[in-house]
Amino acid sequence: MPIADSSVQPDPSPVLDGGRAEAAPAPGLSPWALALRRLGRNKAALAFGALFVVLVALALAAPLWAQLADTTPARNHLSDTIVVNGKSEQVVTFDGVPIGPTWQRKFFLGADSNGRDVAVRLLYGARNSLFIGITAAIITAFLAVLLGTLAGYFRGWTDAVISRSLDVMWAFPVLLLGVALGVSLALGGLRIGPLRIQGGSLWIPTIIIGVVSVVYLARPIRGQVLSLREKEFVEAARAQGAGPLRIMFSELLPNLASTILVFFPLLVANAILLEAALSFLGAGVQPPEPSWGTMLSDGVVLLSTAPHLTIVPGLMLVLTVLALNVFGDGVRDALDPRAKVRFEH
Amino acid sequence: MPRSLRGVVCLSFACAAMFGLTACGGDDDEGSAGTTAGGAGATDAAGRTGGTIKTAYTSFPDYLDPALSYTQEGWQTMWTVYTPLLTYKHDEGAEGATLVPGLAEAMPEISDDGKTYTLKLRQGLKYSDGTAVKASDFEHTIKRVLNLESGGSSFYLAIAGAEKYVEDGKARADISGIETDDRTGAITINLTEPDGRFPYILTMNFAGLVPGDTPFQNMTKDPPPGVGPYRFENVRVNRGYDLVKVADFDVPDQAVGKLDKIEVDIVKNRRRQTQDTIQNKLDYMSDPPAADQLREVRARYAGKRYKEFVTNSTYYYFLNHRIAPFDDEKARQAVNYAIDKRAIARLFGGLLEPGCNFLPPGMKGYEKIDPCPWGDPTAAPNVERARELVREAGLEGDSVTVFGNDEPESRSLAEYLSDVLNDIGFKAKPRIVEASVYFTTIGNQKTRAQLGVTNWFQDFPHPGNFMFLVDGDSIQSTNNQNFGNVDDPQVNRLLDAANRNADIDEVADEYAQADRLIVEGAHVAPYGHRKLTVFYSERIDFENCTVWHPVYNLDFTNLCLK
Repeated sequence: MPIADSSVQPDPSPVLDGGRAEAAPAPGLSPWALALRRLGRNKAALAFGALFVVLVALALAAPLWAQLADTTPARNHLSDTIVVNGKSEQVVTFDGVPIGPTWQRKFFLGADSNGRDVAVRLLYGARNSLFIGITAAIITAFLAVLLGTLAGYFRGWTDAVISRSLDVMWAFPVLLLGVALGVSLALGGLRIGPLRIQGGSLWIPTIIIGVVSVVYLARPIRGQVLSLREKEFVEAARAQGAGPLRIMFSELLPNLASTILVFFPLLVANAILLEAALSFLGAGVQPPEPSWGTMLSDGVVLLSTAPHLTIVPGLMLVLTVLALNVFGDGVRDALDPRAKVRFEH
Repeated sequence: MPRSLRGVVCLSFACAAMFGLTACGGDDDEGSAGTTAGGAGATDAAGRTGGTIKTAYTSFPDYLDPALSYTQEGWQTMWTVYTPLLTYKHDEGAEGATLVPGLAEAMPEISDDGKTYTLKLRQGLKYSDGTAVKASDFEHTIKRVLNLESGGSSFYLAIAGAEKYVEDGKARADISGIETDDRTGAITINLTEPDGRFPYILTMNFAGLVPGDTPFQNMTKDPPPGVGPYRFENVRVNRGYDLVKVADFDVPDQAVGKLDKIEVDIVKNRRRQTQDTIQNKLDYMSDPPAADQLREVRARYAGKRYKEFVTNSTYYYFLNHRIAPFDDEKARQAVNYAIDKRAIARLFGGLLEPGCNFLPPGMKGYEKIDPCPWGDPTAAPNVERARELVREAGLEGDSVTVFGNDEPESRSLAEYLSDVLNDIGFKAKPRIVEASVYFTTIGNQKTRAQLGVTNWFQDFPHPGNFMFLVDGDSIQSTNNQNFGNVDDPQVNRLLDAANRNADIDEVADEYAQADRLIVEGAHVAPYGHRKLTVFYSERIDFENCTVWHPVYNLDFTNLCLK
């Protein structure tokens, strides 16, 4: 599930080496301020960025909505009835068909086959999906920067070991790898030294997604470090007696920031999609925690009699990923100096 | 056999309908035994003979080899191809569960000590390829079951010498407890100890006779010939096969097929199966219609092309007696008080008959426990009483993990119970295990599964085939099927005595008593019995040709076109 090819990489030139004429910052404005200004002019990116903020706010408000609906995401209401438009209706009929959207506090978006409130589960699912998406992207970014920098800076056998390991991961279908790890860790949990994570924990899919996505970012980072290590400012630092660690942290890392920033929203979107896919297949978020993927999976069996069970989480997934992708594209355009040229023309 | 729900119904090894068909809307006059072969007693039931139909299964049978097949799809088919020494009548309800001679001339003579069974093969029998049937083929048939490590091999380890045969691992070696005489057709079987269930074990498809030269290997690609009203043709592994009528099948009192050919195709998508059946492109679908099409099918076709049957199955939550908090009877009682059986039936789309007993209604020994000590199964649960019991026992806030597998129904059941337990004071969460390893996981004592979802479909219509699930003598450290480690001395004593008696009628009361003790002691939390369905095209004669057999479900030999 590649999320981007190398063309997504921003040109490193707007950064500190000052190597290229077209990347030179305008007088009085730093490259970051220029990027922000360009982002501010991209209305589509801002709109979708705002949409993402709204989704995050809704997710944070999940407990409030649950209180209003007088339920919890795991509460079953199989035998309950509810008054809709003055008429008493079963939450789940005798033949197992759940109620559709009522557009009122209780069961606003209907119920699922266990009689649980879809709106409440949707919002709690958003919390889980966003938590996994953002945390997994942070894990990915950390590991990718670490491995990419080490491989690119040291080259030789370090590069060979890291790059071949990444090649192996690249060759392995990410979804299958995720399913294999998810299924095997779901029961016994994960134990790495003193760190112990229980089987049903959200951290299991988070770590799995974070690790299996490393390859997408590590390779571009390595490529960029290979290029940066030959620049004059690195030569200068080396001549001044700076060691490898200092060069990596003080000289290279700041120059990788724009690449990481461009990739981050895309990594989050990718992680959310992968989480949904794993949960759909039963290898991601474990019950009773809701997730959009498990909600989709639950809804598929009642596709024609209760379409809301698949439409609602599916729509949320599309909106979130779309918002992150469009905003991510905006960030890329803002940080890419070629965008500036296009913009000014 | 516990079932992991694949789809909805490729789940039973041997599902059965209820004996008292009137209770599920059955018609006593409907679907009586079909055409029988041979002798002056041959009769023609209503419904024409001849023609070809198209049917669909969601998955290919596990094997098309009688020694190995252990799924409902396999057994339903296999019964029409391989006839054992003893078999069942091709009929519904209690009649269908009646043992009759199959390839044996008569029912077995059982020695006074209950250890020796003597039978005699009918004369002049031939396999579908024309080969003569010999008495020694029976021993070869059992050897294949044991040698191939079939799922059914444990049933035949009661035969003297069977364990040694398995230990030695020599395929052609002799099983000392089976003596046959090809000249006279005599077959003598010696058991290591009396087992009242053994006549039923002889009726299982595993014991369906195959020729003595059938290789000791899985023959699914080229199934061996059998003695039965149909034979396999055009086997396409994982895609389908045909059942073609054996023109010269002539075994006295055995049903012959009405249809000339039954084409079986594997169609993974149940929605497509349902749609094709509605549109008459498919004549019969084995699994229930897809969940989201069930309402429409019920509304439009019930009583005309669609019917539901209660099977001899029990769905229940096991409660582990060896692990807190369910080592405390009050905790187990609380679960029984709290579960809402009406609610659970909705998780099955209505294809579950709520019940209180552990034994299913169609089983000998079933006596409806009424009033149910935990409340009417069709009424609201007593959640308040459950909360009180948890409080009284000082178990509030105790952590509980509810095991279920990743099949949709099992997962829903685990999530439902988890919610119920939280409601009555426990701190519960579900744990979902991959379906293919679920039963071995919860059957391993090291897992320390506190409670979880399970079910059982009969292998044969004998209460002992259910009660061993709660028999203390059947507890094992691995592959345990008494998941809750139920070990009630009173129940154990009753079962020990009843299991030795070959006459079910004589020991039905003991089984009923054991059933009551299991329920009243809150040893498990049973909640109902599964319903299965038939759904036909317009071409099938629904009125006259539907026979729901208590062991093999829809009887193919009775199916016919209008």
